[in-house]
Amino acid sequence: MENSTQESHHLRSENSVTHESPYPLYAMAVSSSPSRHHNHRIALGSFLEEYTNRVDVVSFDPDSLSIKTHPGLSFDHPYPPTKLMFHPPSSNPSKSDLLASSGDYLRLWEVRENSIESVAVLNNSKTSEFCAPLTSFDWNEIEPKRIGTCSIDTTCTIWDIEKNAVETQLIAHDKEVYDIAWGEARVFASVSADGSVRIFDLRDKEHSTIIYESPQPDTPLLRLAWNKQDLRYMATILMDSNKVVILDIRSPALPVAELERHRASVNAIAWAPHTCRHICSAGDDSQALIWELPTVAGPNGIDPMSMYSAGSEINQLQWCAAQPDWIAISFSNKMQLLKV
Amino acid sequence: MASGMENQGKVPANLKKKLALAVRKIQWSYGIFWSISTRQPGVLEWGDGYYNGDIKTRKTIQAVELNTDQIGMQRSEQLRELYESLSAGESSPQVRRPSAALSPEDLTDTEWYYLVCMSFIYDIGQGLPGRTLTTGQPTWLCNAHYADSKVFSRSLLAKSASIQTVVCFPFLGGVIELGVTDLVLEDPGLIHHVKSTLLEIQYPTASKKFSALIGDTRNQDDVDILDHDILDAKLVPVVRELDMASPDTCSNDFEANQLPENSFVVEVINGVASQAQSWQFMDDEFSNCLHHSVNSSDCISQTIVEPTNLRSVQDDDKANDPQGCDYTKPTLLESENGDVHYQSVLSSLLKTSHQLIIGPHFQRGNKELSFVAWKKGRFPSRQTTQGGTPQRVLKRILFQVPRMYDNALESPLEDGRENGVWRPEADEIGLNHAVSERKRKEKINDRLCILKSMVPSVSKVDKLSILDDTIVYLRELQRRVEELESCGISMEVEAKSRRKPHDMVERTSDNCGTHVTGSGKKPFVNKRKASDIDSMELETNSVVQTDVPADNLTVKINDRIVLIEMRCSWREGVLLEIINEVNNLHLDSHSVQSSTIDGILYLTINSKFTGTAVMSAATIKHALQRFALKRGNSSPF
Repeated sequence: MENSTQESHHLRSENSVTHESPYPLYAMAVSSSPSRHHNHRIALGSFLEEYTNRVDVVSFDPDSLSIKTHPGLSFDHPYPPTKLMFHPPSSNPSKSDLLASSGDYLRLWEVRENSIESVAVLNNSKTSEFCAPLTSFDWNEIEPKRIGTCSIDTTCTIWDIEKNAVETQLIAHDKEVYDIAWGEARVFASVSADGSVRIFDLRDKEHSTIIYESPQPDTPLLRLAWNKQDLRYMATILMDSNKVVILDIRSPALPVAELERHRASVNAIAWAPHTCRHICSAGDDSQALIWELPTVAGPNGIDPMSMYSAGSEINQLQWCAAQPDWIAISFSNKMQLLKV
Repeated sequence: MASGMENQGKVPANLKKKLALAVRKIQWSYGIFWSISTRQPGVLEWGDGYYNGDIKTRKTIQAVELNTDQIGMQRSEQLRELYESLSAGESSPQVRRPSAALSPEDLTDTEWYYLVCMSFIYDIGQGLPGRTLTTGQPTWLCNAHYADSKVFSRSLLAKSASIQTVVCFPFLGGVIELGVTDLVLEDPGLIHHVKSTLLEIQYPTASKKFSALIGDTRNQDDVDILDHDILDAKLVPVVRELDMASPDTCSNDFEANQLPENSFVVEVINGVASQAQSWQFMDDEFSNCLHHSVNSSDCISQTIVEPTNLRSVQDDDKANDPQGCDYTKPTLLESENGDVHYQSVLSSLLKTSHQLIIGPHFQRGNKELSFVAWKKGRFPSRQTTQGGTPQRVLKRILFQVPRMYDNALESPLEDGRENGVWRPEADEIGLNHAVSERKRKEKINDRLCILKSMVPSVSKVDKLSILDDTIVYLRELQRRVEELESCGISMEVEAKSRRKPHDMVERTSDNCGTHVTGSGKKPFVNKRKASDIDSMELETNSVVQTDVPADNLTVKINDRIVLIEMRCSWREGVLLEIINEVNNLHLDSHSVQSSTIDGILYLTINSKFTGTAVMSAATIKHALQRFALKRGNSSPF
């Protein structure tokens, strides 16, 4: 499947596709809506501990199992982007994709056929000197003009990207906020270094609800994933822990399950976009595990359904709704698409 | 399913069936028998019950077709089972409760009410059943859902379940309670009818014969339209016939039909069922069914808004009844506080969730897939010697990358809602032991935030830095106060880092710009304090100053150097206008320092008279007055 556009090394086997990048990768996003112009796009953010970092957009063809790079679809980013995300699927797909990146600011990019243009840089600090760097963000799928960002200054900011203005800002936690996830058009949850998962409702900004706190006080919770197919369930991971904690929002404080089969700390989690009880986790043990949550747990805990061993510690995991058969993982400088 | 007798003693045999029959006859929503507890003397507790109200879902598809009464019995059984599994689950928490046929999500409000009733106990003489037992007289409560909780302790529960009428009467050493979602006026005849039904002989079991025809009309979505039509067709002529014979089969007028029904019933048992008789029975069922099917279709077509767990019931009570109820707290609900807000969040979330999506089946370990099946029994041995920190990249992304930015200094957190920043108060659900601790921490954090905004620090948000900077700042202030007091001259105690043009006034601490607050990149944030201690004293040369302190415009002239300090409300281009004006006054400004905080522009201009013309400070002030903030709003705080 060689063609004129430059291709990077890719390995193909029957069940996985690998893309090797010139630099270590961390942030990754899979486009949700392929249009007739291009195949599924994947944005890859580099992880270089220096100022100049890059984001590349490659395209994936599931039929030919190949990944193509496009030299024009690439842009610079100051310091590693902490998260990348494509515009959620909308009713009228436009010709170009919107990509959002977080780092010092929330930036919006338009990914066209052969180039990427910056659309907006969203900075909500009053004076130009200060910014509160963002650790993560989430794009509201029900209300796509809304993006929620979270930052190390303990706040979460909700942006209206149609007006490029701040919709609201909340002091969400006592310490740095590490991840945020939307549940509904006006409800989101966040995790923080203070060890709590809190749910916020934009209709009632006076109150938030703590639905889980790490058992060892002040153990930071690093990542959060909300099951979009079944909003009752959320998953979170703790710092230095090999457990994936599953929470039921109807029973706060008590986790529904703790999935403990990784041999080292867990780095990333993603719920299956097409079923309501499957979740995938990946960690430092180089393994990606797919779990099926049963109605009743056995006495020894829950075992995963299936597993995959990668070459080195897996840092990132994306399970996109547009491609429910493929899970994207990244480890060191490789990105792999695994068939599920 | 059987006879469903509870083993709590003192429950007469076959009461359940009779109760079921009675409740269905009068078409009420539920019946409960409260019996004297064998375990605890002097209290009434749940003896037996029959639920006849609306149901939401029918989980299992029956292999054997049951008729209505069996379905009703089964439902009541399932509700009891659910209650027991929930209460068992509470006492020994597990990951998942032992599975009951029903789960909480499947229940309507009325079913919830019924289920929660199972947990109630009443002292004799207390509560509606208790009082009924002592007086020995029936009690009829209309508008139960609005009743005082002293009269009817479950009134709030009833409200959520729309139970409008509750009737209690003593029976066989216990109390029979009946409830319905309609408002029914007091009718002693009804009570009499129920009593006689309860004292009847055996409930017919031969009704199974008709089960195929009756089917299940409760649940509209399970029954084909076709079946229903068949049902209609068969029974319509019979109904008409019956109508002639006995005017109505409505609930309030059973007396007339009582005896004939009984005899028919008996005959059915004997297997000598003439069609008319059997159809009479069926018709009775049918009218019941119709009634219920109407109800259930209403029920099913409703959007499911209510939160679906036990806590919700409890919390509604708590929320609506701050004085606290005097009923015995249901034991299977935890005590929680203040999550009315959370319930509304939950209801909006779960209303929109698609819980019934069943996705494609997962293949396991197929050769074509990357993932291989997990081998059971493989327990993880921690890879301790991984070399390096766990979650290395993730931690770097979260902890270190944000601080790589040049000016990775967090913007000052203004507390409160001054700039539209909200600080939600965190409600804790079910963390009773940590609530007060958490609240204390929250208060501390609030105070620290305030302190941070008062202290000109550029440090991080963490508490230690805030306290450190406060200590430093306090020491500095103390030093200055000492100096001032010793000098006996009131000084300009501004902490802005600015270049002082000249030592026009003897100020011993005019290097107050070099206060110890870090890199000083940030202009002075201390909006409150600085402006208040802005007391300008004048020694030599004319300094015109209107009021001390907190003036919005001051002009000081020393020789040919003019120092203008002013505050004005910021708008686009205002700075340029001011500079222009200053130029128009033949002042050559050679240093301008400005900052905008909260929409207020703080401006310091050092300028020099050009040419020979020398103006008075008053003139300059007059020219610039229009820009300055008006006296009334000198302090934006």
